Amino acid sequence: MFSGKQTKPTFKSYLPPLQTDLKKSPQLPIKKLEAKLLPGEIVVNEANFVRKCIGADSGQDDLWGKLVCTNFKVSFISHNSLPQQRFQCTHRLLGEHDIPLACVEQVVTVNDVKGKQKILGSNQKLKFNPTELILYCKDFRIIRFRFDEAGPESAKKVCLAIAHYSHPADPQLLFGFEYVGKRYHGSAGERVNGVDPGGGLQTPLFDCSSDWDREIKRTGASEWRVCTINQGYFISPSLPEFFVVPVSLADQDLKQYACCFYSQRIPLWCWNHPSGSALVRMSNISDPQQQRKVEQRISSAITKSHPLRSDVFKSDLDKNLPNIQDIQAALLKLRQICVIESFEESEEKWLSSLESSRWMEYVRTFLRHAVEVVYMLESRHVSVILLEKEDRDLSCVISSLVQLMCDPHCRSLHGFQALIQKEWVMAGHRFLDRCNHLKKSDKEELWNQYPAAFEFTEVYLTVLGDSMWVPVFSTFLFNCPRQRAEHSRDFASSKSIHLGQDQALRFPPVWDWSQQFSLKDQTLFNNPLYVGKIATCLQNGTVKTFTHRRSKKNYSSTVRGLPSLMRNGSLGPNDTLTRRNSLVLRLRSDLSQVREQPETPSERFVRDFFSRAVDLQGLLLPQLLPSHLSVWKLYFLRWVPEAQIPHGGPVTAFHKLSVLTDEIEMLQNQLRQYKGAAGTANTSHAEHSKMYFKATSTPQQCPAPPEYLSSSFPFSPVGNLCRPGILGTPLSKFLNGAKIWLSTETLANETI
Amino acid sequence: MEESASVDSVESLCSSTTTRSDRSSGPKLSDTELRSKGRPIEKMYKDPSKGELPLLPVELVQESAKDVTYICPFIGPIRGSLTVTNYRLFFRCTDREPVFGLDLPLGVLSRVEKIGAATGRGDVSYGLACKDMRNLRFVHKEPDDSLKKSVFEVLMKFAFPVSNNMSLFAFEYKQVFPENGWKVYDPLAECKRQGLPNESWRISKLNDHYELCDSYPATLVVPVTITDDELRRVSSFRAKGRIPVLSWIHPESQAAVVRSSQPMVGQNGRRCKEDEKLLQAIMDANAQSHKLFIFDARPSVNAAANKMKGGGFESEDAYQNAELVFLDIHNIHVMRESLRKLKEVVYPNIEESHWLSNLESTHWLEHIKLILAGALRIADKVESGKTSVVVHCSDGWDRTAQLTSLALIMLDSHYRTIRGFQILVEKEWLSFGHRFQQRVGHGDKNHTDVDRSPIFLQFIDCVWQMTRQFPAAFEFNEYFLITILDHLYSCLFGTFLCNSEQQRLKEEIPKRTVSLWSFVNSQLEEFVNPLYVHYSSHVLFPTVGIRHLQLWVSYYIRWNPRMRPQEPVHQRYKELLAKRAELQKRVEELQREVSSRTASSSSERAGSPTRSITPVQTFV
Repeated sequence: MFSGKQTKPTFKSYLPPLQTDLKKSPQLPIKKLEAKLLPGEIVVNEANFVRKCIGADSGQDDLWGKLVCTNFKVSFISHNSLPQQRFQCTHRLLGEHDIPLACVEQVVTVNDVKGKQKILGSNQKLKFNPTELILYCKDFRIIRFRFDEAGPESAKKVCLAIAHYSHPADPQLLFGFEYVGKRYHGSAGERVNGVDPGGGLQTPLFDCSSDWDREIKRTGASEWRVCTINQGYFISPSLPEFFVVPVSLADQDLKQYACCFYSQRIPLWCWNHPSGSALVRMSNISDPQQQRKVEQRISSAITKSHPLRSDVFKSDLDKNLPNIQDIQAALLKLRQICVIESFEESEEKWLSSLESSRWMEYVRTFLRHAVEVVYMLESRHVSVILLEKEDRDLSCVISSLVQLMCDPHCRSLHGFQALIQKEWVMAGHRFLDRCNHLKKSDKEELWNQYPAAFEFTEVYLTVLGDSMWVPVFSTFLFNCPRQRAEHSRDFASSKSIHLGQDQALRFPPVWDWSQQFSLKDQTLFNNPLYVGKIATCLQNGTVKTFTHRRSKKNYSSTVRGLPSLMRNGSLGPNDTLTRRNSLVLRLRSDLSQVREQPETPSERFVRDFFSRAVDLQGLLLPQLLPSHLSVWKLYFLRWVPEAQIPHGGPVTAFHKLSVLTDEIEMLQNQLRQYKGAAGTANTSHAEHSKMYFKATSTPQQCPAPPEYLSSSFPFSPVGNLCRPGILGTPLSKFLNGAKIWLSTETLANETI
Repeated sequence: MEESASVDSVESLCSSTTTRSDRSSGPKLSDTELRSKGRPIEKMYKDPSKGELPLLPVELVQESAKDVTYICPFIGPIRGSLTVTNYRLFFRCTDREPVFGLDLPLGVLSRVEKIGAATGRGDVSYGLACKDMRNLRFVHKEPDDSLKKSVFEVLMKFAFPVSNNMSLFAFEYKQVFPENGWKVYDPLAECKRQGLPNESWRISKLNDHYELCDSYPATLVVPVTITDDELRRVSSFRAKGRIPVLSWIHPESQAAVVRSSQPMVGQNGRRCKEDEKLLQAIMDANAQSHKLFIFDARPSVNAAANKMKGGGFESEDAYQNAELVFLDIHNIHVMRESLRKLKEVVYPNIEESHWLSNLESTHWLEHIKLILAGALRIADKVESGKTSVVVHCSDGWDRTAQLTSLALIMLDSHYRTIRGFQILVEKEWLSFGHRFQQRVGHGDKNHTDVDRSPIFLQFIDCVWQMTRQFPAAFEFNEYFLITILDHLYSCLFGTFLCNSEQQRLKEEIPKRTVSLWSFVNSQLEEFVNPLYVHYSSHVLFPTVGIRHLQLWVSYYIRWNPRMRPQEPVHQRYKELLAKRAELQKRVEELQREVSSRTASSSSERAGSPTRSITPVQTFV
């Protein structure tokens, strides 16, 4: 049963699957089916002769192998590998069929003989022997295993183990602790000098005051200072140890104010606009008696830090934005229509169900609100306070979006990583509790609209999103820096690991991409169009290394505001909309009364922006019309086989661009060599090319895109989305044409 | 833009009718200029002093009025001057900064009407409904009966010349272009490219004088085994005499795409043995398959209803080995209604909270999906099934043209080039008698005419959807498609005039007018997709799911000033290409320098680093 897996042309691809023999030859199939384990990883349970469903309908492409549950992942080990998957990024921590336990959302066991089905939670009992296991993953995959040939007892055990370990009761049971403990702190107690805190890329982590100092310098925020009162987390449990405040506020005052704020979160400085306006985030003041006074003091301190002594504008996020429960609900609905419902059914009502999920609406609301804030900073030259009750969710989104729009540095790979580190990780976004997927999507919208301005690519964002489910990285593991420190200290003492000078376990940050991907695959993160790179080489025509980062700020063209026109007062997003509509209505009904009193100032600001040429190094505003937002297809639809465009999709353009960029780099290298610049120029080009798709030796002939490209690249829906379809499983025998899922009871009754 | 005042005529006509406003700049476009391309017609004139209108050679100002208010749905009322020429309408307001201007060909107007209910002061107000998804509204501030009325009348007269027994502007326009677009399509050359005639297919002269079928082209490709006499008999059995003839043949499998109109079966189930023999011969011409697929574009209910009117579809009794498939595409009236709803949803403003469900309720994307899905099934049968197909609807000039031309684009990469696409339009649409005059209603004021329908627009939309899914497979860019649509209505070129090849010949269109392709092919670089990769035998199978179809916002919503058409990827790519060329030149120069130096003093610089470099052999 292990042989005879002919790779057959499928209906969707119309072409024979890739022949991958070339690559196979060096690695002969491993005889023993054993899980590859990471340091600290142990096998909990396993079952043999398990079938992994590949195609939705027919079982002929299915793989046979062993299903293993460890304390880190669900692993499926098979002799055969999937065809067409050779191009996939090889993940360094995860194998082809592995799913980290933290990524498992729901474990469903089915017995189709008895017609029973149960959603398994932690520590639950299972009264029937499962014939089928369906794993619903947080990254929208749906994976099915069948136990037709497996021993019923071992099948049951492995299911229970997966259910149990995927919902750990205590965060310390998360695999990250074991892994880091074993790998970097060695059993003997001496620390392996393996983790570079900067992830080898010098991404600032903002866990020391020098990182903040640098950020203050970079943005020219001279009237702001690093405050150290929260060292040891004595003031606020959820604030970072170091943060930035106006110089006019003394530590003593801050300590005094701290108790008025929700969970002692003193207002945090995020970023300075080149005009000197600051972006500040703040939680609600919990003490109503103090509210006025404290608010005034804070505001006046911020005003003092503004070069023009401008006013402060408060933007209440709770009032203007959807709350996190709404957002989570929207994501679930989106998942429902993207992957769970059958393709044909959701196809009919796709647009209206997309609308009713409200996901796009929320994304737009966030973008629009961020634009309002940008308008305040950019044109009205006032500082903005983002006000949110706890200051840990919505303000993360808005503050990082604002910076992405305004600050070209944040659109470079490093800048973006620093931004996430600053606004999400350090500011205490509850990754552990939330793990919702809001933020990446927002960025993606902006990315879609101005591809050339971003150094990183769609793939990068997708992978970053996925990394949230790999519980090894410090970045997305904890609710706040303090929690991270505490947990790791506790864990260390319980395992008697000697921490040495470190206060805490050193988790590798997600930014150390080499933890997950090979160098070659990491190049998929580079955007060939990134303007910073090109700009330098176009300006300096002569030999010039490809500088990756651009620190030069260039705002000149955008600071052309219209301050004189501006009215005072706040403008909610809804305000904008109704105002416009009412204007139109009035026009229709009564022409004579119309005066030259058109749009609201911020609307005008947006329109003016769009009437100018874009300066990719300057301000970028997203288009806010709903017709211009589209779903992030790579992320949400990558597992859906029906939605795949074979040989097509945006990646074909990406391929072409990468090749061209690579050619240019090659030519520049050659020039450099001719100029005899240095002996170092001899290093082979291929090694340090930044592009995933390389130029061939004959640049003039553009190579045709490789056959395997599809709209899902570098992911593959094969085997990763097997909806519990009715067709093809024995279940269909007694469902017989029924279109809807029957409840478990009905199924049970019918079998009798 | 200041350029528009100083441009020569070629450029000004472009700026007048298409979305790009800055045309004049030569190859050296600055960054800003490049990015501002694709701006809507509502241009901002930077320099009020250059106020003259950029007129075409034979364009004459007919009437103008000062102190007119344009009620802009986006920025509010704007006061300025209105000028009507025999080709277009200008509106310009110089009081504003930046200067505001409107510039549209009169051909784009589908309706001009006075809006009554003048306010107390007796203003004259009229609305213009346009075929390109917008409505305009003007108000005369000061009604001076005799004078102001005439602006309106002049507008009525020149916007609808056909209704006023005048000729269209295309017949006056005499611009000479370096390329002659009328020579783009040569039916015999296209046959030759496909390897026709061959042992199974011949070119028939039967329709040379359009006697067999007046809406068909003169050149017809039919199976060799069918005589002209038999063809005559078939023509009496097919609606409007539109017999099954070959559109395209697969270069390897010899599977053919054949098009026709519906058979006149009627309620009694009439049969025609010559027609049956013809379809059998079509099947026999392809040795690879013993089956023939007949794709009826209509929903089966509609096809059956056609029997009442004498039409119908092939019965499987009469046509053995043939399988009939209905593609469920609706008729021209449904499509017209759908576009009307779409216009309501997108113009002038979008209702943000219900955008998606409103869009869904227009069914526009659903129709696009059905058309693409139909074409995909045809292409799949021909490519993967190696089976010949016959495609028809009722008359075979609307849905059939959509389906065959889209299937051909999927099957044959030649039609994805700029010239190949022009040939495709000339062949499948113009020569096979898509009734452009009726569907668009050139110069005709009867805007409620039930024969109007956006069939060709749908086709272009489908092509655009495919360019989205395969960004590197098409030689032309989005601007090319928008230009075609703009000139579909403008009546500047003769290309889309009349209903059939016969009529165009009778009206001497190629002699008396300029072809759109002359204009396009004289400035190809504007229309080239820099990402294009030419692969010769590459079949495209687009994904037709709604989740991969999107509304073509840069066409349907281009008038909204909050929308910025963007093609930065392409732009950036062009810059990169230029950069590469520059670098290559320099590398070559250095190479030459080095080789001459090494030749002159070969012993001297043996150890220099330049020697260790592998020669750059490839940049020629």
